[in-house]
Amino acid sequence: MSQLVLNALIAGSLAALIAGGLALVYGVMGIFNMALGQMALFGGYMTWWFRVSLGQSLPVSILLGLCCGALLSWLTFRVFVEPFVRYHRWLPIVTTIAWGMILDGLILLLFQERPASILPGLESPVRILGGQLTMSQITLILATLSLLAIFAVILHATAYGRRIRAVVQHPHAAMSLGIHALRLRQMLFIASGTLAAAGGIFIGIDQNLTPTLAFPLTIKAYAAVIAGGRGSLYGAILCAYVIALLEQLLVGVTWFGAYTIPAGYQSAVALFLIIGFLLVRPHGIFGSPLRTA
Amino acid sequence: MNYLWHILAVVMIQMPSALGYNVVFGKGKILHFGPIATSLASAYLIFLLLKATGSWGIAVAAGCVGAALLSVLFAWISQRLEPDGFGVLSLAVHLGIVSIVLNWSSVTRGALGVPQIPSLPLITSLPRVALLATGVAMAWGGLLFWLHRRAFGRQLAALAEHEWHASALGVNRFRMQCAAFLLAGFGALLSNLQFAPYIHLLHPSDYGFPALINLVLYVIAGGPGNILGVALATVLLVTLHTTLPLLQWPAGIIGPVRLILFGTILFVVIWLRAPRIFPQRRSV
Repeated sequence: MSQLVLNALIAGSLAALIAGGLALVYGVMGIFNMALGQMALFGGYMTWWFRVSLGQSLPVSILLGLCCGALLSWLTFRVFVEPFVRYHRWLPIVTTIAWGMILDGLILLLFQERPASILPGLESPVRILGGQLTMSQITLILATLSLLAIFAVILHATAYGRRIRAVVQHPHAAMSLGIHALRLRQMLFIASGTLAAAGGIFIGIDQNLTPTLAFPLTIKAYAAVIAGGRGSLYGAILCAYVIALLEQLLVGVTWFGAYTIPAGYQSAVALFLIIGFLLVRPHGIFGSPLRTA
Repeated sequence: MNYLWHILAVVMIQMPSALGYNVVFGKGKILHFGPIATSLASAYLIFLLLKATGSWGIAVAAGCVGAALLSVLFAWISQRLEPDGFGVLSLAVHLGIVSIVLNWSSVTRGALGVPQIPSLPLITSLPRVALLATGVAMAWGGLLFWLHRRAFGRQLAALAEHEWHASALGVNRFRMQCAAFLLAGFGALLSNLQFAPYIHLLHPSDYGFPALINLVLYVIAGGPGNILGVALATVLLVTLHTTLPLLQWPAGIIGPVRLILFGTILFVVIWLRAPRIFPQRRSV
């Protein structure tokens, strides 16, 4: 059981990284970015390329991978989101699906289908709380928590964070107070894409990168955002961990002492959570209705 | 010549599904990403029952009931949720059903699919398949065109443009949307009924996310709500999809190139049609 909880901590940290940025983008802009998983993989693959093909050191490769992720997010925002959201806020759903297909094709062409690992080779595990974790997994969990903590400090202790929260709470009122909403949205979108790229790097270090991972990553992040509540950063992060724990428990536990659920259903947990929450509590656990004058 | 019959058959088999989806997504402007869920559920219902009972009548009747129930369920859910929430939910339903089909292998045979699906009665040769598919597609297109020109088409368009105003004028939202979802469901059923017997295999990979993207692409490329436009886009894009392997590129190249090509086409048509896909409400 303790190993299941530790596994959930690893998977939850990865999902929280991607869902945290997404929660704010969805909260501020109200749009769905369906290319998020591909953006995460792009960051991971670029880090792998810098590290394995060009022989750069790990910190330099990670930094360059994050820069590539930020650049891709900027491009996505300027070409596939911003020109269309002015017509209708649903249009970016379709444009980012198209961008996701193009990115999928490019990733397959450039990096092919074989698994890619940023840190190849086996590591000896460390025993913690009755379970086992490798040093790189512990580092990744701590790095994720630190990154999310920095994000939270920016959100709650800086003027920039107050502007973000103002736009989440009431966009028109915030704009009437002089907040440059477009610039703020662009910055948030880039931050979200960079966090997603960090998620891709996480996968490349902890497991293997494969092109088929993109869509499940997107779905899992949206499940966390929907369950957490629109615009709720902490809700999304918490739900990312809860979903990861549910996934581990579902297939790792023998139910009623006799029944096991096939491992293939693990990826369906997020889907059924989306369906359940949207039907029963569409505004999520921590979501609150928009304030009006 | 056989290859031309094959292309005609594949294009025309896809047509009812594309035209049906056009009613919901194109004409009704409902952000519905679950048409393949209806296809998948009804296809498995039909062909598993056919295998078990050997009776086309029972299998098709069960498939009709399944498609109708799922369509009404989608229509009911679409009343309860915000449009984008419904889009995500319908996509989740689709992927959830795919997951069940892949994992419930004692019934569905999982990723292996269901082989040896028999041909439709009397439709044993390729020209017959193509001609039947063409006849069905034309009849289905004609029915939808007739509905499009009647009160149904006008009321659905009114709901798409301004739901409250249309409701205030006496348009019953649930009834209209239910009819639209049912048309989409039966369109999918007509395509399924012909596709699996044509290739003699029912495989979950034919009902994945790419199949949904293709439908979205046909509707947007043809012009949302435009029956002739969607029919033409289906002909051109399915032909392109089917003839791409003729380039004889390696398998590792053709798949990614297809993704990039169709992604680019989808983006370009959205870019060209951006103001008309989900139009702004008209105001005086």
